[in-house]
Amino acid sequence: MAISTDEVRLMIEASLPGAQVEVIDETGTQDHLRATVTAPQFEGLSRIEQHKLVKKAVQTRFDDGSIHALSIKTSVPE
Amino acid sequence: MTEPSLKDRVEELIRDNQVLLFMKGTPEQPRCGFSMRVVNVLESYGVEYGAVDVLPALQPLREVTAEISDWQTFPQLYVNGELVGGCDIVEEMDESGELAGLLGAERPERPAPTAKQELKADDPQQSPPMQIER
Repeated sequence: MAISTDEVRLMIEASLPGAQVEVIDETGTQDHLRATVTAPQFEGLSRIEQHKLVKKAVQTRFDDGSIHALSIKTSVPE
Repeated sequence: MTEPSLKDRVEELIRDNQVLLFMKGTPEQPRCGFSMRVVNVLESYGVEYGAVDVLPALQPLREVTAEISDWQTFPQLYVNGELVGGCDIVEEMDESGELAGLLGAERPERPAPTAKQELKADDPQQSPPMQIER
């Protein structure tokens, strides 16, 4: 079951209002995705905590196997 | 005495190893690109680390690490008892120099990614010898 990059982006945006999110498909098979997220909610959090917030936004899709791998890059807005 | 649970075993490994990597496959034979990248980073620092192949018990280990660290994808690098992260984080921290600090090791010199260029004596691309005017 594949997932569109738009759907992933929308899930992350819904979970982190105000975040700037970009999602790309790394391999063309729609299951190795890369998400780049800049969110004010990340302020003061360690990298792992920031990544957890992103992961949680799409957890259901990990659980059902739609997402096989998700590379995450997070940052705090300037 | 009761059998230690998988969770007990995992907690023990995290406690007993200053650097511990949960990965898919082994350092000699990684079975996933992300795991391989973390191994490469660790190897470049020359630090001792424990490696656990999660593939024989993938789902149970996901559940255990979810309980212990609220994280269930692999690879997972633990340093001094704490989850540092997966491949993305390890590579970022390697770039930034933070990983060197965390591991207590110096950031190694990285060789340039291009292949070694060996100039041969009969290499046509070599420039002619310099003419030295006396």
